Amino acid sequence: MTMQLARANGAMARPELLGLSPDRLFVVVSRLVALTLLVVTLSILSPHFLTWSNLINVVRHAAPLFLLSAGLTLVVLTAGIDLSVGAVLGLSGCIAASLITGGDPVLGIAAGLGAGLACGLVNGALVSYAGVPSFIATYGMMWIANGLAYVFMQGEVIYGLPAEFRLIGAGFLGPIPMPVLIMFGTLAALHVLLHRTPLGRGIYAIGGNPVAARLSGMPVHRRLVFVYAMSGLMASFAALVVVARTNAADVSLGEEQLLPAIAAVCLGGTSLFGGVGGVTGTAVGALILALVLNGMNLLGVNTFWQAGVLGFIILVSVFADQIVGGRIGRAGGAT
Amino acid sequence: MTISRRQFTAGTLAAGAATALGTLPSGSAFAQGSKPTIAFFVKNVTNPFWKACRIGAEKAAKELGINMEVVAPTKPDNIEEQTRLVEDWIVKKPDAFVFVPVDYKALVPSVQKANKAGIPIINYNNKMTDIEKVTFIGSDDALFEYEICKYLFNSMGGKGKVVHIDGVPAAITAQMRKKGFERAVKEFPGIEVLASQPGQYRRLPASQVFENLMQRFPEIDAVVSANDDMAVGIVEALYAAGRGGKTKVVGIDGIPDAIQAIAEGKMFATVDFSGHDQSYLAVQAAVRHLKGEKVPAEILLPVFIIDKSNVGKVAKTPEERAVPSWDKVAGKA
Repeated sequence: MTMQLARANGAMARPELLGLSPDRLFVVVSRLVALTLLVVTLSILSPHFLTWSNLINVVRHAAPLFLLSAGLTLVVLTAGIDLSVGAVLGLSGCIAASLITGGDPVLGIAAGLGAGLACGLVNGALVSYAGVPSFIATYGMMWIANGLAYVFMQGEVIYGLPAEFRLIGAGFLGPIPMPVLIMFGTLAALHVLLHRTPLGRGIYAIGGNPVAARLSGMPVHRRLVFVYAMSGLMASFAALVVVARTNAADVSLGEEQLLPAIAAVCLGGTSLFGGVGGVTGTAVGALILALVLNGMNLLGVNTFWQAGVLGFIILVSVFADQIVGGRIGRAGGAT
Repeated sequence: MTISRRQFTAGTLAAGAATALGTLPSGSAFAQGSKPTIAFFVKNVTNPFWKACRIGAEKAAKELGINMEVVAPTKPDNIEEQTRLVEDWIVKKPDAFVFVPVDYKALVPSVQKANKAGIPIINYNNKMTDIEKVTFIGSDDALFEYEICKYLFNSMGGKGKVVHIDGVPAAITAQMRKKGFERAVKEFPGIEVLASQPGQYRRLPASQVFENLMQRFPEIDAVVSANDDMAVGIVEALYAAGRGGKTKVVGIDGIPDAIQAIAEGKMFATVDFSGHDQSYLAVQAAVRHLKGEKVPAEILLPVFIIDKSNVGKVAKTPEERAVPSWDKVAGKA
């Protein structure tokens, strides 16, 4: 653990590109290998794959998943986990949709984001100040958020959101879908946060060695609260995009979102043990998951085979990444 | 959802004690002049379908003057929790179970215990086998999809390129609906199936899958979706891609959003899959059985297609919906 901290310090001293030292940059590139392999394979297999409209389509599909897993990435970097992201997405989406269709879009957006932030703050307080393991604290929050959504919705479904609000999920700016712009804007902001600010470097340090981080005078508790709050906030942000996209909200909104979010984080090379990884990798992870689904649809893979094929491709892409970047990754530290 | 733990009455106790499997001396509660109690099961309290079921059942209970307790797992569709609920309610011994299993196979042993305890079972929505039941009341998924496909294919002059969006691959309803689709396709040689891909019965995955398919197929004449939620997502995707109005989209269920889309001319048609009617008739069947009337062994709801011509007459909420006529539906069965 002390070695990891020493590594991080060493890396900071070297010249940087995009906020990344050369060895870290190489690890990012290695994460892209699996993605590139998938793109090349699909381009050969399907003539419909390598078109502008299809590629933009894939990125658009990856966007909500990326938003959800980007906040989660921060938590995972501190060696924690947030199991409540799917449920928080559901709760925030329901609250926001209800108020927005009720005629108050600003309040709706604020309340949706506020609900996510509140859940995240509670998670963070439980983990940092009360010392509850993140798995337990956020598992509890998952049920609380689910339960609140059930009570709030009373078995109803909300349909028909205003067109202006729907722009963030279904709109375009020129040829680029809004969710894609939001995805890259968020990616850039979080990248700067992680690699250009003391706060970001602190997040890596906490994941690498929490004791050393505390002894070095870092406000560990407050930073932990920050990452869980960000995770909740990002989940509710993802909820707004999803609701705007589907034009409907019900309590099942967040169902089956948690594991793909964790998968995107891990596929992107962020270590579940903390201190290693980053949001750029998570974007790659989300893109891989969207690509696999796109590929299966384009190739017409049988419905019953799709779940198995998805699992297989995930394992193959991690394996490809290990072969190319494994050695560097082990030696290189944070990306 | 509050599931009140109401004490059972002396009447229901006696009714339970008097029952024996197969030779059910029905009508005991009525005979003693007390209100019978029925345990009405739903799969969850989160999905509007089960809310419609609850409303339909409550209408019947009110009309017939019985006590009805709604029994629902707190975790949606949870097998283990429903198993415990069934066991709890066997101990409470209501006059009848109006029952839908969260899983039609996993709940068989629990319902067999209720059989042994002599509680009459009225099975609705998802059909169970290997249990003793008074009747099954539901809708035939395969027939529903077959009929909507036939209606769609005829409207296309019997030829065209069609995409099918499946439900959850593991769900029995999704498999039955797909069978209905395949049966209809066989009868129309001019219909070409471009693709059949899973949309998980949910809007976001279905619209994403369909957007992928639009990349591959520049021309799609019609889409058959295994439920309405997905169908509405597909309609959205078509309009977002500037391909709205050229592709006929059909679904199953008759959810308010789909009815709205049909009224706006964006969606072609759907089949009314009414939980409200199923549960209303199921509670009716329970009470009729307790009164000693003969109830048909199976009651299947008629296929009712909603399209532009009749969409204005369709009730938007289960509260507003008219109750079905027992004689009309059960008389036919």
